[in-house]
Amino acid sequence: MTDRSLHSWRKPLGALMLWLACAVAGGVASAQSLPQPATAQSIGSPSSASAELSATAERIYASTRPSLLQVRTLVEAAGRQSSVGSGFLVSADGLAITNYHVVSQYALEPKTYRLEFARPDGTHGALSLLAIDIADDLAVVRLEGADLPHMDFDPVAVAGELPRGERIYAMGNPLDLGFTIVEGTYNGLVERSYNERVQFTGAINPGMSGGPAVTDSGKVVGINVAKRLDGELVSFLVPGNKAVALLELARKNAPLTLAQTREVIDRQMLAWQSGFYKAIEGKGFRTTTFGPYQAPESAAPWFDCWARTNVEQTPKPRAQMDSSSCNSQGSLFIAEDLQSGHVELTHTYVRSGELNAFQFAAFLSRYYGLASLAPSWSAKRMTQSECHEDFVAPSDVAGAPVLRAVWCARAYRDFAGVYDVAVTTVTQDRKNEALVSRLTMQGVSYDDALTLSKRVMGAIAWKK
Amino acid sequence: MEEVTWIELLSRQRDVVSRHRATTSTVTIGRAYDNDLVLDDPHVAAHHLRLCRDGDGAWFAEDLGSVNGISVKGVRHERVVLDGDITLQVGQVGVRVRTAGYAVAAEAPLARTQTYWPVALISLSLVFTLMLFQQWLGETGEPKLIGYLTPLLLFAILAAIWTSAWSVLSRIFTGSARYGLHLSIFSIGLLLYTLCAQASEVTAFALSWTALATYTYVVGWFAFAAICFAHLRALGRVQIPLKVICVIALAALGITTESLQQSDQRATSGQSVTLRRLEPPVLRIAHAQAQTTFFTSAANLRNTLDKAREKAPSGNESGNDE
Repeated sequence: MTDRSLHSWRKPLGALMLWLACAVAGGVASAQSLPQPATAQSIGSPSSASAELSATAERIYASTRPSLLQVRTLVEAAGRQSSVGSGFLVSADGLAITNYHVVSQYALEPKTYRLEFARPDGTHGALSLLAIDIADDLAVVRLEGADLPHMDFDPVAVAGELPRGERIYAMGNPLDLGFTIVEGTYNGLVERSYNERVQFTGAINPGMSGGPAVTDSGKVVGINVAKRLDGELVSFLVPGNKAVALLELARKNAPLTLAQTREVIDRQMLAWQSGFYKAIEGKGFRTTTFGPYQAPESAAPWFDCWARTNVEQTPKPRAQMDSSSCNSQGSLFIAEDLQSGHVELTHTYVRSGELNAFQFAAFLSRYYGLASLAPSWSAKRMTQSECHEDFVAPSDVAGAPVLRAVWCARAYRDFAGVYDVAVTTVTQDRKNEALVSRLTMQGVSYDDALTLSKRVMGAIAWKK
Repeated sequence: MEEVTWIELLSRQRDVVSRHRATTSTVTIGRAYDNDLVLDDPHVAAHHLRLCRDGDGAWFAEDLGSVNGISVKGVRHERVVLDGDITLQVGQVGVRVRTAGYAVAAEAPLARTQTYWPVALISLSLVFTLMLFQQWLGETGEPKLIGYLTPLLLFAILAAIWTSAWSVLSRIFTGSARYGLHLSIFSIGLLLYTLCAQASEVTAFALSWTALATYTYVVGWFAFAAICFAHLRALGRVQIPLKVICVIALAALGITTESLQQSDQRATSGQSVTLRRLEPPVLRIAHAQAQTTFFTSAANLRNTLDKAREKAPSGNESGNDE
């Protein structure tokens, strides 16, 4: 879907993660029209080793197929599917696991949507939603029935002791084509992600979300959740232990009402972000130098930092701009139009020998004007943003410049106590040099936002 | 000797349209061709009135049985004794009779008409210079001649059209176009506005008053109203209160429209207002706040946001679950 070549790959600004529920509308729909007969590329005759492997896959597929589900979200009024994902049964009495993002439409708008399962044997029926975990993108659903075939979790994987390189198999219903099995490699937990995710080297596709990834004995290792659009076969699983924990909670739950769902999401977002911001604080900050200034950057490993410069631009820009931007990897999926939990800290050092003081200020205004929150805004999800701006004196007058600072925040309508906040500062000490810093926090509690901004603003100083 | 009398026909604006010399002591006026004076007005009867001179030499008018009659200052009369200052309303035509003895006003000395061209040209070139200077101060890329010429040309065309429109009005109402006067009104007004707007932008930054930059458009509309008022006043110093009310209404309408438009735009984009332009740090006058003060104000926004959150946009189902 992205045509970026591997060698010239640069971090683009948008998220590259694709959650793998298969929506009928949009770009993914076009992927659905793709299934054409395979082209002339021959698969090659299987060697004896691969024959053995495919025998394993065949065995697993045969034994686990009855436990698989396709989870469909239907528009209540039209009775047609609006998005599809996968799931799998984990108990004889009908408990099943899927991704939260597969059921999010139903969870947030139960009047507009309903949830249905389809089993490989063609039977289908209603699903009820028992529990969700937005931090790990999981949901527990129930279908009516007894003595249903079901799958078990792999105890080695749940204990986190599965060796890297282990061959595992992801299952699900990609692009609504039918239940399939995909072979791939277990690559352990992603080191640079705050949310625990297993890296799976294998092709998982839209529609397979919520499906299980299993060992060669057919035991569940993790749950298919996402893939990177800018790489090949870089896919992610939610570790099985998260599902085991949620299942314990869900076992005695009655189906969630909308009010409960909102309350649960609210609670989970606040708990998640509180842990996240504490962890950022805990990892500390390193000081980076930008010309005559120094500014903090998080030392936490789950920030992905990229530098940009405008030096190579033609015509040659009259002000040189070097920026360093750190993004937290991954974010929370709340709804199709509400993805949260993202933190970004960008420092841009601007200097010019050609522009006069007024022209340089005008140049900076462009960046200052972006101070208010990102344009992805919907009146349904967010309040209008409110801003406060002023000149801010450093606590250490001898060591740091005066700043022009603007704080903009907006509240989430559906979730109390959750805000998006952006803080922008521009140093106010030189006529042709400045450091513009911008901290953006999505889905943050007001207090955590204040704490982190104070931390960052307090550390902007002259180079020691 | 025969006394000469002039019968003057006046337009609705009370300008003399024509003058007729009468030597008889009776003059009949009407639409028919057997009258002494023929009026081409559909509201005049075939034989509308008769002007007679009595034995003392005084003129009077008599209605000859017309439908619309003859009236003076809106009051209808059968018979009116005339002097040189009474205007008879006959249909839509005014009729005035002046005898040779009518005393005319003294000769007015030939005043040197003031020329406004130097003022107009100086202020216009100041406005041009100021505009170009502002654009140059905001120039962050490579300056291009075309970038300066195009706005200059547009502005020159605008100024020409605007001034021409007022000159045409002036020609209609005062008889002379006074292009120089109207051009100087326009350019002085614009000069003052440009200076004000610039000052308010700089002050907004220097004193950290965001609101000042946000409401610059109010100044703009007042400037526009003031320019209009100056043009209207130049058309004649009559009905000044009415003109004042008109331009105030214009300013109010403009400000209301623009405020609504801005708030509507904010509501659709979800963006809040911040300073649009930064100035060089040396222009800062405002005292820099301590970080704790800044963050206390930032923390106070939370209440505003929470209140806004309660007011869910209509159509949201959030009301059902509470």
